[in-house]
Amino acid sequence: MSSAYVFSILATAAIFTLLALSLNIITGYAGQAMMGIAAFFGTGAYTAAIITTHGGNFFLALLAGMVVSGIFGAVLGVISLRLQADFLAITTIGINFVMAALFNSLKITGGTLGLTTSKPVVFGIRMTNMHFFIFTTILIVIVCLLITKMRHSWFGMALASIENDPGAARSFGINVSKYQILAFTIGTALAGLTGGLYAHRMGFISASDFAFVVSIQIVSMCVIGGLGTLRGPIFGAVLLSALPEVLRFADNYRELVYAVLLVIMVRFMPGGLLGDDSPVWKFLVKIWRKFVPRKKTRADLIAEQAIAEGGQA
Amino acid sequence: MFTQQLMNALAIGSVYALTAMGATLIYGILGILDIANAGAYLIGAYLGWYIYYATGSIVLAFVLSMVAVGVLGILIQKFIYSPILAKPNTLSIIPLVAAVGLFTMSSDLVRLICGPYSLSYNFDFGVTSIRIGSVVLVPAWILIFALTAVLLLILWFILNKTKLGLAWRATANDTEIAKVCGVNTSNAMALSYILGYGFAAAAGIMVGILYNSITPALGEVPSYKMLAIIVLGGLGNPLGTVLAGLIIGFTEVFLSAYTSIPIPKDAIAFVVLIIMLLVKPEGLLGQKNKV
Amino acid sequence: MEELMRVEGLKMYFGGLKAIDGFDLTINKGETLGIIGPNGAGKTTLFNAICGVYKPTDGKVFLEGKEVQGTPAHEMAKMGIARTFQISKPLRGLTIFDNVVAAAGVQEYTGIGSYFHKSHTKEVEDKAEAIIKETGLAEVANKKASDVSLGYLRRLEIARVLVTEPKLIMLDEPCAGLSNFAINEITELIFKLKEQKRSIVLIEHNLPLTMRVCDRITVLSYGKKICEGTPEYVKNDEQVIEAYLGKEDED
Repeated sequence: MSSAYVFSILATAAIFTLLALSLNIITGYAGQAMMGIAAFFGTGAYTAAIITTHGGNFFLALLAGMVVSGIFGAVLGVISLRLQADFLAITTIGINFVMAALFNSLKITGGTLGLTTSKPVVFGIRMTNMHFFIFTTILIVIVCLLITKMRHSWFGMALASIENDPGAARSFGINVSKYQILAFTIGTALAGLTGGLYAHRMGFISASDFAFVVSIQIVSMCVIGGLGTLRGPIFGAVLLSALPEVLRFADNYRELVYAVLLVIMVRFMPGGLLGDDSPVWKFLVKIWRKFVPRKKTRADLIAEQAIAEGGQA
Repeated sequence: MFTQQLMNALAIGSVYALTAMGATLIYGILGILDIANAGAYLIGAYLGWYIYYATGSIVLAFVLSMVAVGVLGILIQKFIYSPILAKPNTLSIIPLVAAVGLFTMSSDLVRLICGPYSLSYNFDFGVTSIRIGSVVLVPAWILIFALTAVLLLILWFILNKTKLGLAWRATANDTEIAKVCGVNTSNAMALSYILGYGFAAAAGIMVGILYNSITPALGEVPSYKMLAIIVLGGLGNPLGTVLAGLIIGFTEVFLSAYTSIPIPKDAIAFVVLIIMLLVKPEGLLGQKNKV
Repeated sequence: MEELMRVEGLKMYFGGLKAIDGFDLTINKGETLGIIGPNGAGKTTLFNAICGVYKPTDGKVFLEGKEVQGTPAHEMAKMGIARTFQISKPLRGLTIFDNVVAAAGVQEYTGIGSYFHKSHTKEVEDKAEAIIKETGLAEVANKKASDVSLGYLRRLEIARVLVTEPKLIMLDEPCAGLSNFAINEITELIFKLKEQKRSIVLIEHNLPLTMRVCDRITVLSYGKKICEGTPEYVKNDEQVIEAYLGKEDED
């Protein structure tokens, strides 16, 4: 295997990891059924591509893709307030179809011909797959750090409450719709940023890159890895990006294998391979604990003290 | 010309209504968005084709295909959906993901087993067209109108006049309360699947005859369009679904016949849906949800 | 006695259904007020209309003299009106401890700004610990809410209310579905709150308990108040006996 080939796979895996993380914010943390993430991925991709093909700066284009997609997401968030979970799932599917149709027919997006982008030149170097991989990985690390910080903040607590029980969340003073819109905006903005990266790494984009199937792929990544965890979507994205390469010999059966895997997963392990309740994950944690004992939390201490004092059983 | 379009729209709308009816019945009871219903539509069309060519009887093709696909539906419900729904804390997106997986599986299996090319029904009605005054009717339309009407009548009868139908309505209203009252809710679920998948199979054969072509990609467009239709119809409301199927059929036919919009025909359903959700979020005939 | 909340002519209609039809109520500071009534009398609807879960069709709600009717539920919580749920609503994926911490953040949930404030500070954890001990949840503090029994979940509801430092505590059938033993524990807890001179509104089906705990009782029937007074007075009111008690048996 040539290193160019390896880096092309790695760059793809990294980009889809970032995209899976964006969906995870909306569906995993905030519990909103988003089935059309590719629409926002595409919005970011086309926005960035249009800017650079008109001579704009690459990083500026990425930022613009993020902002436009985020605004679009915020608008959808406002609409989604009125809808129940199932309506929202269908509406997002619908938005995906409508957007893909628009990408395919509007003049500014190149219609059926799509858009061709040139590899950006940064500090005098033309970016290759390796550069895209490194740049995207840095972004993944930053996003992971930001998400970890969120999980320890009141913002994270609000999302966790909403995901578990919106009614209870309201009774804690949480403005459920406001937080849902925020989660939508952040998630779709990140998807837009990822789209900009994708457009320039691929060198060419067309409507089929942002079809509903792509949304399903991203959902599958999160579900197979474990929605609502940080490790899950990353693992799922890397796994599903590598799978086509591994299954290359059986190209004709690829989709089928995908589909069967997906059905088996949700049937027997809906929390994902690395979800909190997964036997695989529990086993890994058990081994890890042999080397690094668990730090006791405040809750553990309270419970232990109470049991030691012989509290009411 | 206008009447022609009208009949065409009515035929397409009928097929939509029939296809979406399965998803509606299933949503009414299990509360899941079963995209795999479009897989039943696809498998039904292919099974019907094989039966038609083996026996030469279109009636047998309809009946056997509907029964076989209906039974397949019950198996899927028993072994896939019910266990998923029985697990506590399942995210609402999980059954939908299962459905997408099942649908992809069905499309791919059909492609691998029956080949990627299209097959033709070549069903001969005996006449190529029927002329009533200035209106020219395609015989396939008449078949579709008649069969849709018969199937919907059967559905109405089962739901409203039989004990099983009563159980279905009670379960759709409130599964927990129905259970407490001694209603056999698993029978109601089985009824949803056998009728739902059976109807989808019939719709598949009709479309096969109408366009004289079936391909493994047959289910793709209905898979998502069906979702738009059942939401328009107020999720789980059979009457609303018929109405919504017709509305989408008419909108598609007339918009593409008389206007030039930049949106392809198959995305129109979602445009209508999104507009309607903005105006009336509870669906066409849906009731305001009790909190 | 100083007035805490006053409800005037509250109406809550759903289409043609008049769930609450002109209801008046005054809650004084430091008192425990019971609301009783037959099934379907509109008790929980009344709570929801006061707490902002529903927007009342008509009528006024004053909190310390300020008009608050129609304020959304999360704003009500921030203003100090805390309620429990008849069908308990635990955050199932979180531990009991984190459930209490989540409620402790009532004034922290400001939107984007809340990203910059850590949730598990020492101060918050101390507060949560104290409440957890007070409500008898300590031994299950590190268990997930999905893994504990209903009795604990009922106490969790009360713990989450207390940790918000509310002006008014609204308890919606805190004993529903509990064993006699667990009911006694909850009753003790309510007595403890009473001793602390907290303002409490209690909806309860268990009549002996309500009679024992409450200073005043309001009887609701078909969305209307039919009687109000001391437990002794209400018990002997003919209209109440007719509408609610039917025959005089108290379990």
